[in-house]
Amino acid sequence: MTEIASGVFVHNGVHEEASSGNKDAIANIGFIIGADAVAVIDPGGSFEEGAALRRAIVARTDRPIRYVILTHVHPDHIFGAAAFRDDHPEFVGHAKLPGALAQRGDYYLRRLRGALGDEARGSEIVPPTLLVADRLDLDLGGRHLLVRAHGPAHTDNDLTVFDESTRTFWLADLLFVDRIPVIDGSIVGWLKELRELIALAADRAVPGHGPVFVPWPDAADPERRYLETVERETRAAIKAGIGIADAYRDVAKSERGRWLLFDDYHARNVTASYKELEWD
Amino acid sequence: MGLTRSMLGRAISSLLLLLVVLGGAARAEPSEAERAARWSDLRHAIFGDRVVEDAGDRVAIDAPERAEDAAIVPVTIRVSETLGSEIRGLYLVIDDNPSPLAAHFVLGPLADTKEITTRVRIDDYTYLHAVAETKDGRLYATAQFIKAAGGCSAPAGKDQALALERLGKMKLTLAERLRPDAPINAKLLISHPNNSGLQMDQVSRNYIPADFMQTLEITYNGQSVFRLESDIAISEDPSFSFSFRPSDPGAAGVIKAEILDSSRRHFTQSWPVAAAPQI
Repeated sequence: MTEIASGVFVHNGVHEEASSGNKDAIANIGFIIGADAVAVIDPGGSFEEGAALRRAIVARTDRPIRYVILTHVHPDHIFGAAAFRDDHPEFVGHAKLPGALAQRGDYYLRRLRGALGDEARGSEIVPPTLLVADRLDLDLGGRHLLVRAHGPAHTDNDLTVFDESTRTFWLADLLFVDRIPVIDGSIVGWLKELRELIALAADRAVPGHGPVFVPWPDAADPERRYLETVERETRAAIKAGIGIADAYRDVAKSERGRWLLFDDYHARNVTASYKELEWD
Repeated sequence: MGLTRSMLGRAISSLLLLLVVLGGAARAEPSEAERAARWSDLRHAIFGDRVVEDAGDRVAIDAPERAEDAAIVPVTIRVSETLGSEIRGLYLVIDDNPSPLAAHFVLGPLADTKEITTRVRIDDYTYLHAVAETKDGRLYATAQFIKAAGGCSAPAGKDQALALERLGKMKLTLAERLRPDAPINAKLLISHPNNSGLQMDQVSRNYIPADFMQTLEITYNGQSVFRLESDIAISEDPSFSFSFRPSDPGAAGVIKAEILDSSRRHFTQSWPVAAAPQI
């Protein structure tokens, strides 16, 4: 657990796929302590990881955990939520999170149990209790967090959090550093959101995957280059009549070697982009 | 001599029941003998006691050996030139899917049968079988093994708002015709979730209802290119590449797609086709 700015704590996820060895602690998660209350930003990928995060909070403060922000539907960010149930926080999610949980929650839970075995015990879907359609100001006692709901990008239910007092911008999975971005919402939408995000000033950013904090907006350059390359070259592949199953071999191959887990996700990213862009 | 739709439906229903019963037991990776037995069961459920011959080089399946995304696996069925004009139907069977008969194309007089491509969901490592049915009732089968898993229950819909807004919309792309006597190559995209009914809403504990395309009919100037009877194995946003030969290539025409889905929704769209260029 690293205190990257006053009262802002981040636990660094490992660059692996979920497994019993890592308890699905593969994303950057953490919390922010205010004068009156604590906000968790992503409870982690399993009940075990959520419980460890909660212990880290209790060791540092006796202030109540009032908010658990679920930045998006992906399992490595949300399955720790059940560890915070007894704190009775507001579970904060994007207005489209309930729909995404309905579609995918069961599948994610089964997959988590498959990957983690016994280490998945206690992990559950916790539906959000406070929905954000546009913006939400959370007051932790003289410390304001601005929660923004974004259009389809990494997923169709992405939130970011801006801590005004330290000017720390928690981008969650709208920002991937070192680990290959996963396109599970809209490549066109993500590039649009990214252009708007880059225009926002901050002293540091917290990526969903990557170091615990990075300079902003410079750290977004590789992600933007990857997404732009995939978009441009997928469009070219569609135009050239290359099929959906073959497109990934050539699209953005200049990006191989620049990202961790490239071969695990790139083909799926191109398939998703192809499916989106063939309607244009 | 062919199966009627209701007979086929009954056969598939009883087969589904059988698979559900069998699926209750923990299942190790099936042996080749078990895979062969499954195909034998499927073949009897779909084609009864009719003889199904080995297609040899008459029919081929083109699919990736290992699928990158099991919910979107492109599959092409190819038919040899010699058999081409004799074909009246093509079946695509995904042996280990919960609902194995993925597609039955009933080819019309304008179909150019050389190849048809679609995208399917694949639930487990499985054989795919393509069966061509000739006008005189012969059946020719070919198989290909494919490594993909989880496609049927995989979550759909990356952008659900867009999916709803676009429901039923279609996009047709026609390849440029270089010669008037060449067939017209077309690619049709259909915006439809084609929900499998195998996804559970974890909050309400209800399954999200199946909602899929049941039939697709393609006509050109009122004459049939093909009629498809399909199922949950067709991927979200169904896609089809096919060819057809207008009876009068020198004249302009209209190609039309009509869809009926399991929620009894009906979608239709038409596109003009220019006359073939003069040589």
